[in-house]
Amino acid sequence: MSWFMGIDIGSAYSKGVIIKSVELVASHIIKSGADYRKSAEAIRTELMNKVGLTRNDVAYTVATGSGADNVYFAGHKASDIVCTARGIGSVFPQARTVIDIASQSTKVIRLDEEGIVTNFTASEKCAAGGGRFIEVIANVLRIDLGDFSPLAARSRSPITFGTSCAVFGESEAITRISEGMSKEDIASGVNKALASNIVSLVKKVKMEEPCAVCGGGALNISLVKTIETELDTKLLIPPQPQLITALGAAIIAAASATSAPRKKNNS
Amino acid sequence: MHFAGVDIGSTMTKVVLTDKAGNLLSFIKGPTGAEHRQLANEVMRQALEEAGLHIGDISYIVATGYGRLNVPFADCQITELSCHARGVSSLFPRARTAIDIGGQDAKCMKIDNGRLANFVMNDKCAAGTGRFLEVTASALGIRLEDMGDISLKAARKIPISNLCTIFAQQEVVALLSRGEKLENILAGLHDALASRVAALARRLGLEPDLVLTGGVAKNIGMVKAMKESLACEIFVPEEPLLTGALGAAILARETYMRAAAAGEALPTKSRRLEKATFFSQEHR
Repeated sequence: MSWFMGIDIGSAYSKGVIIKSVELVASHIIKSGADYRKSAEAIRTELMNKVGLTRNDVAYTVATGSGADNVYFAGHKASDIVCTARGIGSVFPQARTVIDIASQSTKVIRLDEEGIVTNFTASEKCAAGGGRFIEVIANVLRIDLGDFSPLAARSRSPITFGTSCAVFGESEAITRISEGMSKEDIASGVNKALASNIVSLVKKVKMEEPCAVCGGGALNISLVKTIETELDTKLLIPPQPQLITALGAAIIAAASATSAPRKKNNS
Repeated sequence: MHFAGVDIGSTMTKVVLTDKAGNLLSFIKGPTGAEHRQLANEVMRQALEEAGLHIGDISYIVATGYGRLNVPFADCQITELSCHARGVSSLFPRARTAIDIGGQDAKCMKIDNGRLANFVMNDKCAAGTGRFLEVTASALGIRLEDMGDISLKAARKIPISNLCTIFAQQEVVALLSRGEKLENILAGLHDALASRVAALARRLGLEPDLVLTGGVAKNIGMVKAMKESLACEIFVPEEPLLTGALGAAILARETYMRAAAAGEALPTKSRRLEKATFFSQEHR
């Protein structure tokens, strides 16, 4: 009974991890799709199969993310801000600022010496404020998301988008392709636009170093480098940055089960 | 003596021809074209053909819209805001507010004495423009022109929780797969766009009569949703796409007549229909 599960149902991807004491033993990521409840179930089944567990072996589960309500088997829900903070704290206890670049929005969280959230801000739920902008343009460029960063890194003169809307940005990218602009310069231009949105968000909460970055957007190294240049700091990148929030949920699950019985939403 | 107004929008190119007295002779609408946007000359040629005129018969030509700088045969360029206001007030003399919702922006104009007095516009976020409906229609697998009719069958509106077009696209597909009725989803989408545009219009202060134009005004579901959002009567011209080009033609006539009365000669461009390239680099 020493296994704990954290499930993070995001707008694009659903992530789950199982930890034993504090050690990550299994993780699983799927597209969220239209049925979040089904995604949550699929993740639980896959995680338990990976470790060879039955339902009774998992002592406690915490759900987070915009679809947390659909994780009907969770002991309780926790806010994604708190989960991200806990997740990052377990990898980089020294981090004082966290940038979480998710599909639907970007969040910037400030932490104190103990890893407690002192302040945070989030972009509006606008595709241009999060990783979704990259997905949209990758689709126009007909490249895999994984190829986006290396492609952008080869750009010599990134284009400047004349819009801050992902839908209009999509049309602009199509126009630029027809004008003969290279995929590299368009990809790099998207990273530049997204980085500048993220940097202004970071400035809102007054960054304190060291600063870590997580969420699926952190896999885009070229984007991370652009943010580093603009902020003039080196960002800490955890391994599997997209799992950090789910990891934090699992850590909270472990803490919940070992402390006294608790109420909902008291994370 | 004839006059022409050419309105190069993001998706459609419109041409209106009038006679000496300002009476409408012909109008043509054609797609601006997704890629090289070279259709002003073609649309102009068709409008002339329909009116039985030659390009040399046109005394003065005003171009308006996004692509107005790239109409080689236009004598003068006037912003679409001024042209819309003029076109609307020629059709509805009592109009004080005009709302134009196109595929790429939404404009709210205050009209005073038949002319543009003030305006607010949104061209920053697709969610407040006709693009919102275009994107969600294609996600739902229905034609844009059918959206409004289907939405009228709704028994209730399903609220759309996402503002962003991209996320709303995902949301409506999820709603459909959850078994929600298409017409109820559509009613929710129309309501979402209407309330965004209404919020924009309220920044300007609403004054009746209110006229709705642009491609979105052809959507009966949107007209209904706008009426509900703004809680007032809304007038829609028979050809809601043409008010910009009509206003341009009227302003062409007025400009020409004023100069003629003052005995001045207006500089005009060569009356030759050549290929126009819109959004070309040199005009950026």
